[in-house]
Amino acid sequence: MSLLKPFSKTPEINGANILLVENEEQFQQCLAETIVLQNMNVNVNVRLARSLPLPMENEKSRPRIDLVVFIINLTSEASFKSAETSLKYLDPGYFLGKVCFVVTKARSAVPPERLIAVRKLAASLHCPLLYAEDQTTEGVTTTAHRLLAILRVTAGLIPMATSLYLSTLTCYTLPSDTDQLNFD
Amino acid sequence: MAEASNSFSSELGSSNETDESVSNRSSNRSLRLAEKSQRKSEASDPLLLALKYFSEVKAGTPRIGNDVMERNMALVERVGLSRGLPPEGISVMLDYAMSLRMGAVPCVRVLKFLIPATVVPQEAIVRGMAWLCVGKLAVSTQVFFLKWVLTIFDMIDSKEQLRAIYGFIFSFVTEEQLCPFICHLLYLLTRKESVRPFRVRKLLEVQTKLGRQPFLMHLLSLYKVFCPGFVAVSLPSGIRGGFRSHNSQWKTVLSAVQKKNNGQVTSDICLTLGAKCKPNSRKRKCNHLQLPSLSSSVQRSSSTSRKVFPLEQLHSFSQLLENLHRIELPSQMGSLLGSSLALCYLDYVQDDSAFLRLNFWLGHALHEEFIFCNGEEGSGSSSESLNFLNRLLSTQHFLQEGFFSTEGFLFKFLNVWDGAFLRPQILGLLSDISVVPSSCIRQLLFEPLMQLYFTSTLYFKCSVIECLNNMLLKWLTWHSVYALKDGLDISLNSHTPMNMSLSGLMDSIMELVHFVGRLATVGLQLEGCHSLLLSFTLDFYETVCDMFLKFDLPLVAMPPLGVFLPALFATDPVSVDRLCFIMYRYKKNLMAAKCQQQETKQGFHISSQTYREFNRYQLIIVSCLWNSKMFQPGMAVEVDQNILALSKVPEPSHSFNLIHHPAFLGYALDFHHKCWPERESIDLNSIKAGKQWDWYLEFIFTQGFQGLQQFFQSFISRHSVAGTTAQGPGDTQPTSG
Repeated sequence: MSLLKPFSKTPEINGANILLVENEEQFQQCLAETIVLQNMNVNVNVRLARSLPLPMENEKSRPRIDLVVFIINLTSEASFKSAETSLKYLDPGYFLGKVCFVVTKARSAVPPERLIAVRKLAASLHCPLLYAEDQTTEGVTTTAHRLLAILRVTAGLIPMATSLYLSTLTCYTLPSDTDQLNFD
Repeated sequence: MAEASNSFSSELGSSNETDESVSNRSSNRSLRLAEKSQRKSEASDPLLLALKYFSEVKAGTPRIGNDVMERNMALVERVGLSRGLPPEGISVMLDYAMSLRMGAVPCVRVLKFLIPATVVPQEAIVRGMAWLCVGKLAVSTQVFFLKWVLTIFDMIDSKEQLRAIYGFIFSFVTEEQLCPFICHLLYLLTRKESVRPFRVRKLLEVQTKLGRQPFLMHLLSLYKVFCPGFVAVSLPSGIRGGFRSHNSQWKTVLSAVQKKNNGQVTSDICLTLGAKCKPNSRKRKCNHLQLPSLSSSVQRSSSTSRKVFPLEQLHSFSQLLENLHRIELPSQMGSLLGSSLALCYLDYVQDDSAFLRLNFWLGHALHEEFIFCNGEEGSGSSSESLNFLNRLLSTQHFLQEGFFSTEGFLFKFLNVWDGAFLRPQILGLLSDISVVPSSCIRQLLFEPLMQLYFTSTLYFKCSVIECLNNMLLKWLTWHSVYALKDGLDISLNSHTPMNMSLSGLMDSIMELVHFVGRLATVGLQLEGCHSLLLSFTLDFYETVCDMFLKFDLPLVAMPPLGVFLPALFATDPVSVDRLCFIMYRYKKNLMAAKCQQQETKQGFHISSQTYREFNRYQLIIVSCLWNSKMFQPGMAVEVDQNILALSKVPEPSHSFNLIHHPAFLGYALDFHHKCWPERESIDLNSIKAGKQWDWYLEFIFTQGFQGLQQFFQSFISRHSVAGTTAQGPGDTQPTSG
């Protein structure tokens, strides 16, 4: 029961660490493989977890995590619930731009309330909300590219840009009109 | 009633298994029959017998343990699910089912396999509606029947008789559970003469009871199109969504049956139309995206007194001209997308109800396929979706305007888009949208685009900027084409209820320009001023700088410093050249605007802020490229001398002139080599002196840098070019007004 802290460890030179959290462990694996395969100038280290908190025993050897990604499968209620409970084990410092949500299966026949709940969650935490096509290789590659684009900033690899700066541009804001949430 | 619906739902719940077992059993049982029939190649013979049985069976015949009935039912079911039933079969079975001659259980079963092979006779539907009025059916069965009617609606041979009983159908809107489906059915049947004040009143009454439901709004908006006088209430323009899609089980079977029968049914239409190619090769899992083949509702009843010309018989443009006055629109509007002649006609008639119907069909199809896809594999970028969107794109280009249902779909889709799925098509459609009012442009367009843009790759960023550039171009073109003489009221798109004032349009365009300014500024920073992104950004500003002269829009907006400086200090000379060209065009526009202001005394007002920015930018360019007075006091970019000294650059103010600028250094070396081929050491400063500077400029201009040349000729007086003593920007500069 320990909080994951964004600044408790020193960063590595030319390194970036991303943590993918997914309860179902479906999309996680292939996304991780795709991320590692991308040609980057820095060493990208992908870590996987089903949920937070992370186990204590690896605490010492674990590098600094630059970006925490919650993968939520919209067709499963458990996926959303798990992400919601995991959020409690993150240091508030992470919410200054180092957390993002990836939603899969948003374009299918899912109850609209669940999509709205995810949107509300992302908006209340000021996090970006990405939608992913997890069924096609092209979709997985795109998601990997997008996560890397965020990771580059949160790991401090882009001069003059910080994660907080990016999050002001990408964070999901709730439409003022609640009827509009459905976009009907 | 409640009991009945309960039994029905339990029936539904277990229906899948029983269906399968039944069909298995039936296939075994009727194997002999089928083989025989195949041998005789008279497939319809046992079917006819079975149908005869169902047409003659007496009411009250026991169902349980009735082997004859079971055998006949299984046979018809098998035929229905595999090949579809002939029109008379549909008639007989529907009548048998709806009359509840053997109770409610077979009724649902019959409805499930009632798949038409070719068409559905309208008499059957009328009789079915009559049974609905008897009121013996359970509500859930009634809903089931209506869903079936909606599914096969396009296969009903003629709708005249159905329209004749419009009033009977309308009476069901008060039934709460039936209302959505009844509204949908009425929507498809409504004609101008069916709109009556008492019906409008009834609908409004239902609306107060049920709330503002989309199905009621849709029907009301159609009524409003036909008779604006009757419907006084204001309806939101372009109600998004549509009638709830009831993903019925019929669709898959229906499409399979149609595919099987496709050869006979659609091939002749394919021949005559040409636009709809290879219907046989299309394989679809759902029916949504298939452009229906052109068939007007009068196809079969051609002997009627009204002389009409069905669209599917149209082969040439001259034919269209001859028959323009008596063309009947097809029963399914989606088929129009496939034919350019039909689109010509549609564009000519300007029929609001036709557009409404087309938009409705389109919105429904887009929503089903891309947002609410029930697909097992989420409908990847299959060639069907691709073809469909490409067809839609070419239709919109043909009509030179977007459909409002496409817009509604896009605004919704952007919120669940990953930024890669069908990217060229989606961005293409997006650039076609009509002007979005500035009050909601942020929420509908900018917010979702921003989230996608800042988390995506360079190439996506470039394509977004390109898309927004195209969007701006379309808006400006609309303005220059549709703007009325008094320049106050423009109706941008005659088919959307949106009328926009000039100031409203200008607000939207201003928002768009500022938005792209932000995107470009931060994007360039994140991507390290990538030349590709810079190039797309400059494309955009090439459109922006000429808004007044080219499109007659009284608006001048300058690029932000975050775009200007990266372009000026770019390492490729093309960007610098294009920036100079853009500044030159800005000057032309500002001068023209100022002239107009002075002549007519009532031109448009350009804020002094714009002039200040413009003057500052031209001062920066001149002092940087020409005068080598960069960083000096009063020269727009001021940097403290002590800080400059820390950089240990010998002459910082000279480092960005046309000789030392990283983009032009190569040209300077080349020029130096050509001027003094015998020199051992290179002294670039010698280019600065006297005649060489003029020659050097000539040399640069001959390399194709037209932008630099135009900037130079318009901003700097010729006599003052003698190197370091050049005067600042000429006296021709517009001052703040």
